[in-house]
Order: sequence, then C-alpha cells, then structure tokens
Amino acid sequence: MNESSTSSTSSTGAGRGATLGEDFGRAFITLTHETLTAAADALGDLDRRAGDGDFGTNVRTAMKGAATNIENDAPSSYREWLTAMYMGWLGVGGTSGPLFGMFFRDLAKAGSDQGPDSGEPGSDATGTPTLEQFAQALADGQATVQKYGEAKVGDKTMVDALDPAVVALKDADASDAAAALAAAEEAAIAGARDTAESTAKRGRASYVGDAAKGVIDPGAAAMALVIGAARAAAAGESSVEADWIG
Amino acid sequence: MRRSIVNDPDDLVAEALEGLVLSHPTMLELDAEHRYISRKQKARDKVGLVSGGGSGHEPLHSGFVGTGMLDVAVSGAVFASPTALQVLAGTKAADAGRGVVQIVKNYTGDVLNFRIAGEISGDDAIDTEIVLVDDDLASDTGEDDGPGRRGTAATVIVEKICGAAAENGMDLQQVAAVGRTVAQRSRTMSLALAAGTHPGDDEPQFTLDADEVEFGVGIHGERAQRRIPFTGADELIEQLVDPLLEELELGRGTEVLAIVNGLGSAYPLELSLAARALHRRLDTDGITVGRSLVGSYVTSLDMHGVSITLMPLEDELRELWDAPVRTPALTW
Repeated sequence: MNESSTSSTSSTGAGRGATLGEDFGRAFITLTHETLTAAADALGDLDRRAGDGDFGTNVRTAMKGAATNIENDAPSSYREWLTAMYMGWLGVGGTSGPLFGMFFRDLAKAGSDQGPDSGEPGSDATGTPTLEQFAQALADGQATVQKYGEAKVGDKTMVDALDPAVVALKDADASDAAAALAAAEEAAIAGARDTAESTAKRGRASYVGDAAKGVIDPGAAAMALVIGAARAAAAGESSVEADWIG
Repeated sequence: MRRSIVNDPDDLVAEALEGLVLSHPTMLELDAEHRYISRKQKARDKVGLVSGGGSGHEPLHSGFVGTGMLDVAVSGAVFASPTALQVLAGTKAADAGRGVVQIVKNYTGDVLNFRIAGEISGDDAIDTEIVLVDDDLASDTGEDDGPGRRGTAATVIVEKICGAAAENGMDLQQVAAVGRTVAQRSRTMSLALAAGTHPGDDEPQFTLDADEVEFGVGIHGERAQRRIPFTGADELIEQLVDPLLEELELGRGTEVLAIVNGLGSAYPLELSLAARALHRRLDTDGITVGRSLVGSYVTSLDMHGVSITLMPLEDELRELWDAPVRTPALTW
C-alpha cells in the first residue's frame, strides 16, 4: 500500500485515490513502444488502404526516436518516461505524429515534476498520477488533439478510439485501476473498429473518400493500442492484444 | 525524362543546406540534426524571427537568413513540413530574450507543427506569435471552414518587413502586428507553362499541352482550378494582374510593392519582360510600382512559371522595406 494515497482517502470514496503503481510510467511506455513497433506494418497497411500510406513509417520513426530518448535520458520518473515518448512523436512528419506527441505530452503533465524523491503530497516515488489524475489527463489529451486536429467524434480519426475510452474511464469503478483501464481499452477497441464504417471528414482518409470504407482508421487503431498498453501496465501484464487490427 | 543534379534524392535537402552554409561561411550556420540554418552571429536584444517549411521553394526560407531578415529557417523534406521538434529547436535558437515571431505559410502541416512548437516553447518561457501568410488569391474559395488561401510569394515581403521591424527594436506584439498587416494587404496570382519534377522522378507532376497554361497554380506542383489558352506575355500577365486589382481594390494613384517571381525555371530575361508587362498594365489604371523585386524568390522545384504579388505601400511599410538587409538571397 502506498502511503501517499492515504491523504485522498475518505469514508465515502475509499477507491477514488486508486494508484497505478510506481512502475506504471516505465511499464506503460515500454509496452507502448513494443506494441506499436510490432504493429507498425499492420498500421501502415491500413493507411495504404485508407490514407496516404506514411503512417507505418511515422510510427516506426516515432518509436525509434522514443527509444533513443530513453537510452540518452535514462528516465526514472513517470514524467520522464512519458516525455521520452512524446518527444519521439514530435520528431515525425504527417499530422497524426505531432498529434500523438501532444496527446502524450498531456499524459506526461499529469505526473509530478518534483522528481522521484520529492515526497510531494499525492504522488509516489516516481511521481505517478493516480488513476483519477490519469483519466483527467486522457481527457485533456483528447481536448488537445481535437484542438490541433480540428476533428470531431465520428470523423474517422484517433479521436474515435480516445473519446469512448475517456467516457468509459469516467463511468468505471475508480477503486480498481486495472479494471477501469480494461473498460477503457474495450471501449477504445470498439470505437476503433467502428471507424471502418464511418466516412472521414478530417485527416488522412478524408482525401480518399469512399475508398476508405471498410478500413479501420490506423490512428484510431494505434490509439486503442496505447490505451491497451496503459491497461496492461496497470495490471502488471507484459503484452497487449493487437490481433484485432487485422 | 527529366534529370536533376542530385546524388541520392533522400540526401538532397541535407546536402544542399551544407552547400549553402559553405557558400556563406561568415553569414550562416547549420544545425545538421534539426536541419535549420541560423545566423553565424546570433542577434542580441531583439525579437527573434523563425520561418521554415518544406524544401523545394529556395531561396525561401534559408536564403533569407541574415541581418535585417530571419534569424532561423527550418527545412523540411521536399514539399513537407519540418517536424514540430525541428521547429521547436529553431524557435529556441531564434530567441534572444524578447520572444519569437514565427512566420508560417498557410498549409495544414506547417501550421500544426509551428503551433505545437510555439506552445512547447512556452515551457522555456519563450513567448511566440505566429504570423500566417495566406496571399494566394487562386485558392480563395470564400468558405470559412476550408483550409483558406495558400501562402506563397508574399512570404518574402513579410520576412523582410518583420525583419526590419525586429532590428528597429519593436517588441513581439508590434513585429507580429506589422507582419499581419503585410500578409493581409498582399495577394498573389501564379501561372505555369510546365510543372516541376520531384528529384528522382522521371515525370513532371502534371503535363500540359502546347496550347495550355495552368492558371492559379500553387507552389507544390498541385494542379490548379483552371487552364487558360497559351498566348503572349502581355496578355498572360494581364490575366494575373486583373484579379489582384479587383481583390485589393487598388484605385488610381495607389503605390504598390510588386514581386515578379519566377517559379523555378523561368529565366531572368522572361521575368524582366513580365515586369514590363506588369508596369504597362498598372500604368493604364494609374497605379505606380514604388518598389519591386524581379527574380526567382519562392520557387516550386523546376516549375516553369511566374507569379505576381502586389501590396499597396504606405510610409511605414516603405521605410521597413528600404531598411538594410544582408542575406544570401536579398541584400541592400
């Protein structure tokens, strides 16, 4: 039991301070890196059918950049792990790369920046946010992605996976981080799958019109994998289910 | 079959930037990792100016780094925006403690990456302002929710005038405001007789018959909305100028700054002749060309074409335009 979570515990909301664990930042980013690297070919294939075909390359470049940052910066806190990932994304072209970068940047901000040994109230030794703070960061990330990408829900973009995940987290039992994130992952995957039936108004697939019908949006698929990585990290698991991408 | 002077097309931008800096060793410096060119002698105590965008438009932007103009120019791949990380590094390099104006041509990728870089610069307490250049009249659809007009040759005027404003000691808001005024007052129309060819490609981006002219063309080899019949230079230039006069509502006695810009493979003799046609056309409406540039400043690889940019002048803008400038591509 993490003693720092006691401050937010009250008789009516015993679970509201559910923690993600001191290892969450490292595990989340490591799993994101592994999962997206492994899925890059499949994501690139989706993009060739429903976009301009550069997403697989951009994902690989972003993950290579993140790996380099991790090697050079030797992150120890949650925020440092997330920063290595967001800076990796900001070094790639296209539109969804920078948007993923800004999404991860909002997740990074949720961590304490006082360093591992700060003992700052409400944060653990690695400055990891609570589940509630992480859920709020996902919502902030969605707002940022929508601000910069000018996409609405249903436009066949990464937002279609992120929005249901944010909603599912709000509705979930906040006392169990792994279960709440599992609900978010399930909602994100369903949202990503549904993009196969929608017509793009923004982003990559808007240029190819009906040719993208029946194809899952690769940005939404990647977003669902990221949520899956968060779930696996919170559950202490070592892999993310990605076969559903096709 | 078109050929280019390249080694590996993938190395074109990096090698060309090296060549530019080698050619101007006292004036320029290259950050090879982030692919930006900066002044060799970093300016002090003034608003910083950073611009950039896809490559293939040279001398824009890298050729305009120097005293009186840009502090930093960031280069993307051919016709592709630089990444947010590159722009962030360039923005930080341009900062001399008084904030940074980012001059951005209105394209989705450029706008996104400069906005993101601007936001993240805030983490380092660097204030930024974006000046968006959207002068291309041909892409003006009148719709509010579209991508808006493209940014083309007026970028040179914005970079020159903001550069002078910054050297004169204006603050961040003032430099941005004068830049926005320039962008708002400038409009451009372009035509092409032949498209450019991507380095490494065999074929140009589009082909035209001998009696066709691509009218209202952009600077990325994209097709225009219209084709018009090929005819003599006077008549072609007139067709570029007329919509500009109408849009800018230029009356008799107006003094303008004009750019007669080659799009890549128009030769100087053609551009001088186009300038003559422009002056004659403006003369008949009682409009005078107070200042002008004639040459290839904002190009589209080897596109054979010309653009005309007009901006009504007034005293402050004329003074800023006339202020000293020393860059590889513009010096007085």
